[in-house]
Amino acid sequence: MNSPVIELRGLSHRYDTDLVLRDIDLTIEAGEIFGFLGHNGAGKTTAINILTTLIEPTSGTARVCGYDVVSERRDVTRCIGYLPAEVRMYGHMTAAENLEFFAKLSGVAEPRKAVAETLAYLDCADLANKRVGAFSTGMRQRVGIAQAIVHRPKVLFLDEPTSGLDPLGVRQLRDTILRLNADLGMTVFMNTHLLGEVAKVCTTIGVLNHGELIYKDSIEETTRRFPDEASLEDIYVRMEAAS
Amino acid sequence: MSDSTQRIVTLARHEYRSAVRSKILIVLLGILVAVTAVSVYIASVDYASKLADYQAYVDAAKASGLDRIAPSPLAALSLLRGAFEYLEIIGAVIAIALGYLTVSRERSNRTLPLIRSRPVTSGELATGSLLGALGVIATLVGVTAIVGVIGVGIIGHDWINATQALQLLLAYLASIIYMGAFYCLGAIATAQSRVAANGLMIALGIWLIVVLVLPQIGDTMDADNQIPGGLFKALGLGHDGEVQILTHFTTYERIRTWTEEASLAKHFERFTFAMSDVKERYRPFSLPRLLGQTRNDIGWLIAYAGILYAGLRRTFRLQPTIPQGGTP
Amino acid sequence: MIATIASHQVLSLRRQRVFLAMLATLLTMTALAGVLGWSSHQTIVRVYDEAVKLLASTGKPAPPNPFLLKPTLSLLSNMVVYIPLIGALLALIVGHLSIVDDETNGTGRLVFSRQVSRTSYVLGKIVSAATVLAVVLTASLGVSVAALLVVNRAIAGADLGRLVMFYGLSWLYLMVFALIGMVTVLMTRRRSIALLSAMGAWLVITFVIPQFTSGLRPTQSLNPITDPASTSQTFFKVTSKFRPYSIVEQYKQASGRILHTAPAESFGHTVQRVLPIAGLAAVLVLLTIRLVQRHDFSRSANSE
Repeated sequence: MNSPVIELRGLSHRYDTDLVLRDIDLTIEAGEIFGFLGHNGAGKTTAINILTTLIEPTSGTARVCGYDVVSERRDVTRCIGYLPAEVRMYGHMTAAENLEFFAKLSGVAEPRKAVAETLAYLDCADLANKRVGAFSTGMRQRVGIAQAIVHRPKVLFLDEPTSGLDPLGVRQLRDTILRLNADLGMTVFMNTHLLGEVAKVCTTIGVLNHGELIYKDSIEETTRRFPDEASLEDIYVRMEAAS
Repeated sequence: MSDSTQRIVTLARHEYRSAVRSKILIVLLGILVAVTAVSVYIASVDYASKLADYQAYVDAAKASGLDRIAPSPLAALSLLRGAFEYLEIIGAVIAIALGYLTVSRERSNRTLPLIRSRPVTSGELATGSLLGALGVIATLVGVTAIVGVIGVGIIGHDWINATQALQLLLAYLASIIYMGAFYCLGAIATAQSRVAANGLMIALGIWLIVVLVLPQIGDTMDADNQIPGGLFKALGLGHDGEVQILTHFTTYERIRTWTEEASLAKHFERFTFAMSDVKERYRPFSLPRLLGQTRNDIGWLIAYAGILYAGLRRTFRLQPTIPQGGTP
Repeated sequence: MIATIASHQVLSLRRQRVFLAMLATLLTMTALAGVLGWSSHQTIVRVYDEAVKLLASTGKPAPPNPFLLKPTLSLLSNMVVYIPLIGALLALIVGHLSIVDDETNGTGRLVFSRQVSRTSYVLGKIVSAATVLAVVLTASLGVSVAALLVVNRAIAGADLGRLVMFYGLSWLYLMVFALIGMVTVLMTRRRSIALLSAMGAWLVITFVIPQFTSGLRPTQSLNPITDPASTSQTFFKVTSKFRPYSIVEQYKQASGRILHTAPAESFGHTVQRVLPIAGLAAVLVLLTIRLVQRHDFSRSANSE
């Protein structure tokens, strides 16, 4: 049996006196598309910040691709891609220049080639030589995803990727995630509020409530467990109410 | 009070309250007040000993029965020279910061649509903001004035009289107009920039040129400044000799004058130095004559302030309520 | 990694209009310094000639011409004022811009979710600031040399060497302000507060400290030729002890000695003047490294 690609054991995190993550145990297998749900302030972004090595947990452990996020930080960063919420990129540089910079930081051997291939894969090669500062939210989001996958990571972390996107943009994002998962076998860890999209894209969901993981299972199993609820949104609301 | 005036007063109060809550502004104010106090202290200690010397001369002269006693060469108001120089330099930066904060605050809080979706015209917004800022500036100037006058009185042992007080009042009024002009500059530059902080940098760049570089060029071109202590003094020539020689350099002097005239700071400096007895040749003048001598500088000060206020009104009128694209 | 971050930052700065405007201003002022120096010198010599005529007509003897022995490099004496003014503001902007975008745009998260160490990141930023300032000052040096060649038709090797030393000292001086620009970004969460704090530091260093240590009023600091202020008071007996640490005064004094526009002193004494500037730069480098290592890049700062 393959070891999990993301593994949290007793993970807790505190900001000053505020305990934002409480003793989380979570495993995600390779190839899953995991939707991380929770109310505003539940701790979802903090969890992603820990998994992407931006902050260290107060207690507990987290492993990505088998590497510890604290003691083996560099190894973790080699196998992840990350798109944070509301990233604006370097506005006075072109999309290609932005991507080449991040590709080099990720140690990509031929950055220009990788950038061209990635933009073509995401069907936005026409954006390459345009300055990011003038892009719409949707265009910026596509460049953001491009920087997250230019080095072909094993795991992709997306924090509120649908924020600010119109319905067409949301559909394009959905298709992109599914293609990355199917073509490149990428595991995807996604924070989102759009439950309709979670139902269409994710294979597994987890629900965070005030820092505690109150639920985790596959979409299939979830809908079987709550047969009376019409949609994932109803299921989620019921879980929140119960906790 | 008409509705329009009511709105302007409301905006002015809002501006004043917001400004005094800004920590960085308080720090800059603190630096200005502290450095004003030190500047006045240093000048006053020196002055006090000179005043004591003069008093000793007067006592000795009276004791030996002399009728004609030389008037005091000292001028208490001139002790505030450093204070006015700091208002010229640091005061202008504070005013620019105020202007920047006015615009960036509403932009980052996304409250501009909330204001503009009410019956508030851009002119009322500009006027109210400016009045609020002038209130902050007047508070600052008032504090530095009190520190200065008390410093001169207590340390320099020379309290100012009513005429001097009036001159000083005019000088401080000019300070408020001067800083008000820079407030408008800060607000205009910020409102015109897509990234507000870039507007702040542009305004500070203009400040650098207008307040420091142009006067410095004028000073460098001034023949008298080429030797410490004055060239004409070193050559044994007085003011008349200086004027006579400079008649041979009218083009050069004209260029130098134009360069200085382009600087709002130079006009402010000339007016405040005249009012504060810094220039010896102005000391015997009455107030009306002083105002006559400096009418050019008064005119320029008011003209610059007027143009920048008009620019502020125009900028607020044309400013998009919702920023288009880019960073706020 | 350091080279990648440094080259990216240099490219980024080249695109920033504010930086380009300040650069153009500095180069224009360098050229202007030469023009002003030449024009002032020509005029002052003529003023002296007219003064001699006037004094002769009144039967008074004329004092010796104080300008005949003015050193060649005095043509550029205004640069000693423009570097701490325009150059320092440019350096502040360079330092500020090198870190602020990663803070406010969220790109810091993209950088540090890759195998980039904090130390490499900050060293890359410092190298980029140092490189940019070196290029700017080299351009200014070129303009200065051109000005000297136009006026004097030649430049002695010794003068060129002195000019290079002056610009080397200026680079060190400006690095202090670039580092201040970086430190203020790392210590605040708002772009505007960072910039205003950096400006406040510049005002204190350039105008306030000389007032405390030497009694120099602000406008006296703007003139390369300064009438010494009276510092006999008790106040200055204490504060003048800190004069060696007033980096703007030490920079101007050292520059004057290098350009031969101030009374000569031993080379060792001039080096002593440079030490506080170098020391402050070293302290700021360490502080910047420390602040970056401890900084939380996971949250975007306020972009205003």
